[in-house]
Amino acid sequence: MANTIIGSTIVIDGEITGNEPLVIQGTVKGRIALQESLFVENSGVVEADVTSENIEISGAVTGNIAASERVEIKSDGRMVGDIRSPRILIADGAHFKGHIDMDV
Amino acid sequence: MPTPQETCVIGRGIRIDGRLTGDEDLIVEGHIEGTITLNNHLVIEETGTVVANVEAVELTIRGRLNGNIVARELISILAGAVVIGDIRAPRILIEDGARFKGNIEMDVPLPPGVQA
Repeated sequence: MANTIIGSTIVIDGEITGNEPLVIQGTVKGRIALQESLFVENSGVVEADVTSENIEISGAVTGNIAASERVEIKSDGRMVGDIRSPRILIADGAHFKGHIDMDV
Repeated sequence: MPTPQETCVIGRGIRIDGRLTGDEDLIVEGHIEGTITLNNHLVIEETGTVVANVEAVELTIRGRLNGNIVARELISILAGAVVIGDIRAPRILIEDGARFKGNIEMDVPLPPGVQA
């Protein structure tokens, strides 16, 4: 099954829901609810509340995110908002401002 | 890590509610509700369902579309497609096996003196 890719010139204003991996290279504003992995790539801009299984951030994310498994902010990722997930990784070089809740 | 590619694909497990705009080719295998404005080619595949007003340069439909369409160049409604709505484009083709309900508006060159 082909991955869903929101290309770099695409702007979505609204809600995305789904049960397959999603790659964002463009801009998404609103809400994302996924039962799979979400990849926000370098050119990707997400201004949304996100719920997903895995979230990998190399782009810019503002909003609150909740992942049932894992959140990773890569070294070029930028994020402002709160994160809730059992496993959270923040790489050296990443920018983050917000609250983290790992169920300690 | 998925590899980037030029064409944007909305897979069959994905549903989008809202407004979608862009400059690149878009392939819809999933579900979109709202409006689509694209400066390029939009393809709605067999599994794709779109309930939206659509503006694009070129539109190819193999799936279902409910809404009004304006294309700057070409609308192709292919076999198996189900389209309900009003469509406007300089070139429109409807294949055998496609189903369509609505108005079609093309610029029709009539001989001089003939009233439309």
